Amino acid sequence: MSMVTATRHEMSYCPGCSHGGILEQIGAGLDRLGVKPEQVCLVSDIGCIGTADKYFACHTFHGLHGRAITYAEGIKRQRPDLLVIVLIGDGGCGIGTSHLVHSARRGVGIKVFVCNNFTFGMTGGQHSVTTPQGGVTATTPGGSADPPLDISQLAVTAGASYVARCTAFDKELPRYVDVALRCEGFALLEIWELCVAYYMPMNKLTPPALLEMAERFGMRMGVLREPPTAEAPPLPTPGVKPRRQSSGRVSLSQTLSWPGRREILVAGSAGERIRSAVGVIGEIMVAGGLWAAQLDDYPITVRKGHSLSNLIVSDRPIRHSGVGEPDLLVIQSEDGLKRLGSLEGLPPSTLVVANDQLDLPATRASVRRVSLKRAAQGIEKTTVALALLTFGLIECGWIAPEALVAAAEVAVAGKFRDANLQAIRAGLDGRAWGSAAV
Amino acid sequence: MREFLTGNQTIVRGALRAGCNYVAGYPITPASSILNDFVSAFADGSGIVVQAEDEIAAIGQCIAAAMCGARALTATSGPGMSLYSENIGYAQMIEAPLVIVDCQRMGPATGGATATGEGDVVFARHITAGSYPLPVLAATDAASAYRLTYNAFQIAERLRTPVIVLASKDISTMRQTVDLEAIRLSPIVPRRAAPADQPYRPYAVDQPADVPAFAPVGGPVRVRVTGSIHDECGVLTIDKTKITRKLTHLNEKIRANAESLEDVDSDLDDEARVLLVAYGLPDGAARDAADELRAAGVRVSRLTLYTLWPMPERALRRALSEKVEHVVIPELNIGLYAEELRRVIPHTVGIHPITRYDGGLIEPAAIVKRVRQLAGGAAGSR
Repeated sequence: MSMVTATRHEMSYCPGCSHGGILEQIGAGLDRLGVKPEQVCLVSDIGCIGTADKYFACHTFHGLHGRAITYAEGIKRQRPDLLVIVLIGDGGCGIGTSHLVHSARRGVGIKVFVCNNFTFGMTGGQHSVTTPQGGVTATTPGGSADPPLDISQLAVTAGASYVARCTAFDKELPRYVDVALRCEGFALLEIWELCVAYYMPMNKLTPPALLEMAERFGMRMGVLREPPTAEAPPLPTPGVKPRRQSSGRVSLSQTLSWPGRREILVAGSAGERIRSAVGVIGEIMVAGGLWAAQLDDYPITVRKGHSLSNLIVSDRPIRHSGVGEPDLLVIQSEDGLKRLGSLEGLPPSTLVVANDQLDLPATRASVRRVSLKRAAQGIEKTTVALALLTFGLIECGWIAPEALVAAAEVAVAGKFRDANLQAIRAGLDGRAWGSAAV
Repeated sequence: MREFLTGNQTIVRGALRAGCNYVAGYPITPASSILNDFVSAFADGSGIVVQAEDEIAAIGQCIAAAMCGARALTATSGPGMSLYSENIGYAQMIEAPLVIVDCQRMGPATGGATATGEGDVVFARHITAGSYPLPVLAATDAASAYRLTYNAFQIAERLRTPVIVLASKDISTMRQTVDLEAIRLSPIVPRRAAPADQPYRPYAVDQPADVPAFAPVGGPVRVRVTGSIHDECGVLTIDKTKITRKLTHLNEKIRANAESLEDVDSDLDDEARVLLVAYGLPDGAARDAADELRAAGVRVSRLTLYTLWPMPERALRRALSEKVEHVVIPELNIGLYAEELRRVIPHTVGIHPITRYDGGLIEPAAIVKRVRQLAGGAAGSR
């Protein structure tokens, strides 16, 4: 059984259109290759050439305009054993340029046949990205002002394994088809044609004129990139190691005691490991049978500016996750303070633990000023936020120091375990860090 | 075992639990970590993950892989949903099972990349030309995001349709306490396979609401897939009878299955004059508000919608007891779903959206206040 099931005369293309002949050639190439129809998937784009799927005996996949290459890539990745070929026009290469470029760049082993007739035949002869400069079309009645896109050269630049260009009348066409079908990597064959309905009559184009046109625009005919001689590498697969799952997957034998819903906010700068500190406490609380919710606030430039982290801890499930004025506010640095703005809204019941070098605005909250220098003594500099937060938790009286440490020893994991535990222990003695309550 | 996970992490877990094995995406806040985590999850070769050149390519790859038999997922936010639009229509037309996660953020346009918002609730339903229906589920927190992502695969496979799972920035990025092992899930449903002993007609159905049997592209039976209007064999058609049959089927297979798609949590009081309807992030505030109101003697019913589309009409009608005079619905948008509710709620019942779209959350106190106003004096109280 032949892969293409109709002759060019039986196909629905305009008399004189080269589409039918090209399809016969692709079909003949597939027959010479000897693949079974079920081993092949034809992906067709939109436009006159896109209607060709019905003439193929293999699997066919007809999608949206310009997206054929995306479907072909999905099929090839999921089923690398299939021969996946794409039929697309110059229109599809225009609207889907990026897909062509990036599939070629990624070396996806699909075979792309571009039927380039310099115009949109199906919609009434408008100009396409390959319309030659000066070309008369429905939308460039005075001649196209723009130079044409060199699709083949683009594919070469993008890294295609095999690229060739010819006209539909070229005696070498079958050979190019054969090489493209046998190429392991991304192959592209661009075939120049005459649209007998629009571009040919509007521009008095003839087969020999196609070659003159190629010369005029400096577009080389023939093979632009030879296929690699050695076997091409298989489709690249991501070679990464699984990341460590950080989720606090331990639970303590005893539930921690906690006085209800408490909202905590830690404010500092990027690089101070604010979010990590809050995450560590959150994980301890979750492991201890409590409920926690952590939501961070930081600019998209993650290495600069403020870093804020909200933590709700509750002895019951947390449903509404919005935070009001925090019950405990830790302010480590200027960036955090700036982000907070005024502290006027804080009620007297809030405890603020603040770096004693900061110029704090007026507040009704009770404040503990601490020396960061002293807080950092004997612990890793990157864990100061965790020490401050621990100090705050203990000062608030929500949790007993021994219970917190015991829970931390079970729950804290990962490569910063020792440093984090050290910071938590240091936080218990935070009263030694600085000035008394203000 | 309780864990401290973001919604994006639970979405990945839910998808993996459902057998997801093809993911293509494009980075966008607040969905990006889903793509990152699948890179880790599939590093052992258990699935394929691709960072595509744009959202169009990402969903295109997923659709094609799904038609080869993969269980595919793609995740994005509002701007990416706009780019998915054309291919979601394509997935509907070719009846491709596909899970689409929309981690919503403040819109329109670039909007607030790191600000929450839930403005895609109607857009998701009407995302394609022709507005053919597709199931849309809305997570309220990390735990429901896990369950709904899993269920989305079940629905997608059973009905051969794209399914949209809505999360939002806070659900996606907030670490929460979840116990995934405690969440009950139904056994995985395989796609209904085409019988091997009969010629394959890829879109043949007996009844409009039936789902066509599946044979994979690349399998032993040759398959024709087309986004053009087609007959039961996947061949382009201009026969109006066949066209009507196909498009009626696309409508009916969702509508007729609407009741089986209803996923709600109802907490009703037959004497309540006010019904609180909630979905998405404000559901937490609605639950807290209901507790507070009841503790103060105000009778109120509460209904959480996990299925937004098809609208869970049966559950809504059940919640609308004769006593209900008002429906209060908190929304992180301009009041979109409240307008949709009007279609199923009698005109004698008032609908009162509480809206917020500045990136902040609706406080339980705002809901309590509105319900108290509506419940009035003695009649609403015990």
